[in-house]
Amino acid sequence: MSPETPIWRRDFPYSTEGEEGVTRREFARFLVAASVAVTGTGGVVSLWASLRTINTGEPRRIVGLDQVDVGASYLFRYPTDDDPAILVRPEAETLFGFSQKCTHLGCVVFWAPGEQHFECPCHEGFFDSSGQPIAGPPERPLGRIEMEVRDGDVWALGAGQEAV
Amino acid sequence: MSSRRRTQISTAVVVFVVLLLSLQLFLLAVAAEGFLAGEPALAWSATIISAVLALIAVLFYRFLPKRD
Repeated sequence: MSPETPIWRRDFPYSTEGEEGVTRREFARFLVAASVAVTGTGGVVSLWASLRTINTGEPRRIVGLDQVDVGASYLFRYPTDDDPAILVRPEAETLFGFSQKCTHLGCVVFWAPGEQHFECPCHEGFFDSSGQPIAGPPERPLGRIEMEVRDGDVWALGAGQEAV
Repeated sequence: MSSRRRTQISTAVVVFVVLLLSLQLFLLAVAAEGFLAGEPALAWSATIISAVLALIAVLFYRFLPKRD
């Protein structure tokens, strides 16, 4: 028996299952500690959101315009090699560039040329050709990448913050 | 204060704190959404409200009877 053992325990060396239980006060203390921890985590997330610098990319040639058929898509990486992006040409004079990351949980969306919309295979999210959510869980539009045609080539000019 | 009364108060405090913590978890999800959407103002708003709820939880804890 350790020296910290109270005298009554030496005189009455019996225990019950109830002694191992958690009192309401102990449980409430745990909950309050969790409450403070959740607040701290939120603070870290907020601070990170405020301080992080986002690489929105530099203007860069992506592909020749004649290599992208009307109604088709072209996959590329922008602004870094770790950021999958997709270019679609729904009409001859219309080009849209988007991050391929679904705004629901980050799966990679693909272009369905027959239906002329984007699909996220993970949770059946759908976006129209302008990147707006039209069905499924996503509520925010796809991250937009500004595109431009220069001398017959398609250029990416920069991504919105939500695209990276 | 009777033992029964202390038990009632303790249980009520635990229930309130559980509710507050549930709301805080929702607010943490909102802060994460603000982070992903590149909207720090949303994340900070959720965190400030969460901090107020945490303060209320601490105050509730102080109301716990010493013996339960």
